[in-house]
Amino acid sequence: MIANPTTQVDWNGIAPIITIAVTALVVPFADLFARTHAKRWVAILIGGLGTLLAAGLCAQQYGSTGTVFGGAFALGGFTVVFEEIVLLALFGSLLLFATTMQERRVGGSVALMLWSACGALLMAGASNLMTVFLGIELLSLALYCLCGMNDRPASRESALKYLVLSSTASGFMLLGMALLFGASGSVALSSLTLGGLATSSFLWSGSALFFVGLAFKMSLAPFHAWSPDVYEGAPMPVTAFMSVATKAATLAVLARFLYAALPTGMSSAFLLPIWILAGLSMLVGNLGMLAQTDLKRLLAYSGVAQAGYLLVALAGTTALGLRYAIYYLVAYAIMNLGAFSVAAALSDEKEAGSALSAYHALASRRPYLAAMMSLFLLALAGLPPTAGFLGKILLLSTGVATGYWWLAVLLILGTAISLFAYAKIIRAMYARPDGKAQPELPVAPWPAMISIALYGIALVVMTFYPLTPSNIVPFVR
Amino acid sequence: MDLTVLPVALGDYIGLSLVIFFIGVAGIALRRNPLIVLMSIELMWNAANLLFITFARVYMNNAGHIFAFLVITVAAAEAAIGLAIVVVVFRNAKNVDVDDVRILRG
Amino acid sequence: MAPYGSVALYLCVALAAALLFTVLPGLLAKPKPNAHKDEAYECGVEPTSSVSGRFPVRFYLIAMLFVVFDVEAASFYPWAVQMHALRMFGLLEMAVFVVVLGIGYAYVWKKGGFSWR
Repeated sequence: MIANPTTQVDWNGIAPIITIAVTALVVPFADLFARTHAKRWVAILIGGLGTLLAAGLCAQQYGSTGTVFGGAFALGGFTVVFEEIVLLALFGSLLLFATTMQERRVGGSVALMLWSACGALLMAGASNLMTVFLGIELLSLALYCLCGMNDRPASRESALKYLVLSSTASGFMLLGMALLFGASGSVALSSLTLGGLATSSFLWSGSALFFVGLAFKMSLAPFHAWSPDVYEGAPMPVTAFMSVATKAATLAVLARFLYAALPTGMSSAFLLPIWILAGLSMLVGNLGMLAQTDLKRLLAYSGVAQAGYLLVALAGTTALGLRYAIYYLVAYAIMNLGAFSVAAALSDEKEAGSALSAYHALASRRPYLAAMMSLFLLALAGLPPTAGFLGKILLLSTGVATGYWWLAVLLILGTAISLFAYAKIIRAMYARPDGKAQPELPVAPWPAMISIALYGIALVVMTFYPLTPSNIVPFVR
Repeated sequence: MDLTVLPVALGDYIGLSLVIFFIGVAGIALRRNPLIVLMSIELMWNAANLLFITFARVYMNNAGHIFAFLVITVAAAEAAIGLAIVVVVFRNAKNVDVDDVRILRG
Repeated sequence: MAPYGSVALYLCVALAAALLFTVLPGLLAKPKPNAHKDEAYECGVEPTSSVSGRFPVRFYLIAMLFVVFDVEAASFYPWAVQMHALRMFGLLEMAVFVVVLGIGYAYVWKKGGFSWR
């Protein structure tokens, strides 16, 4: 007879998730009863406060260890780092609602984004297959709705496309999970480490299907075809959130699987397909960027390439590699949010800042925004003086150190290709005005301007203080 | 693993599950009606459910049953959202056909 | 394949019965066609268009809401099985679940999702 199978530790462990969930329940109701012209700021304010509270609760968990709820959710530094990245993405994206999206849709969108973040937080700490599945689905289901939140037909269609393709990928992943369950007889990820499973056909086929699902969510080539269309169709705050949170949460699941759930005595050939996908992503993503005329599409292809870069650090599954991957992920989150913030500052409900033509001769009209955009693009390209540069050096060093030199070569090659795409935008921004009448630029509110400055400062400061959590690996299990 | 609890061989369950799964995959690849596509997705998810139930029986571990429940409820939410998106996409269209979704370049 | 023998037998009988009932009338009955037989059955006016036509999008919306609130009841089963063991804790957990579901219900109601416009 168990009266209460949970303890206080359990509830403390998922306190950030509960906070976000409760905020997600409060926001739509506040929206129903708020005055018509206050709806936008009421939703952003409540969502932002909830996010800050969750981030504070989350930080307190850094030193704790073990799992809660019968091994469903792991505590500790690894979980906390990924949770904080998701919360950063959430907070940054909430700010973008200040200018983009129609007032009457903001409340619902903020609530859905909070639910989506809930799923991403669950994934960050998921240590059994059920939590992984629940997290991924909560993240994705809310994102499907968010993608269709605009009135543009492209937005609706991107939602349908995302739903069909992503659910199919979930189907593959679910079959993989069933086979993994069949291999070990337990849903706990740690149960897969039993040595006898290294040659189990259930484990091999199950992991392969599981990786296909994760590769899709992370938009690794050749499973990336959805991402440019969906990024373009989705409203701007959603694209910003999706590009960071989905990658961070999926990387958390993948890293936990690679570091904590592989059977002892597994051959390295088992993971080779993942590194091949990483190499392919770097090529496809960077080549795809060259022909784009829309910022969101360009950043989608950039995201494909960046996902490949991140995996270079994990190749060889060394402790140092995981630290560097987290460093690069933080840098990627900040530069992506920065670029989207500039785009949102140039946009209204019509999202004019999404077209690359809007950046022509921007420096003469909005020098501050043009300068910051250049910084973020340099960071995405991996040039000094930004964290993107240091991050790429660290990734390269692990790639070479673990013997995956061909990935390092592809990383350099991909970076060289991407320079053309990024440089094209910077050149356009600093070109002379061509005399043609440009549409009037909106004036962004001050929180947006300040957040852009903070992202820029953070990117430069991170270069000189490469804070990587040194004791992260013991926390993965 | 205790295979004696199963009335037929384990391979038969896995085979049936795979057949259902690939009927779903074929449905998504070949059919153009989004409602049929949504049904095919359900088929894929339920193929996985069958495997979960099978292994739950083989290992005498209730986690498989709970997982199947979880999948059923999530699938319902997914179907509802899918239906909602289909309705808003095709509200002004004559036919319901995923090939008509052409504004975004592949 | 022994365990499947009864299944195969069942399928054969079902197929045979279905075939029997569709083929036999055509073989036994003497066809006597006349114009009245081709008309719509018994009463009512002649249909003017395809019967399986379009119906309002409202039906889909109601169906969608029904599916959500209906299938979420599946979450009650695991609790119902362990109800006695979980005692007060289980009851409170389910209460939280119902409250969350209720909030969703209230939101849909206030937004006018149930009104038949």
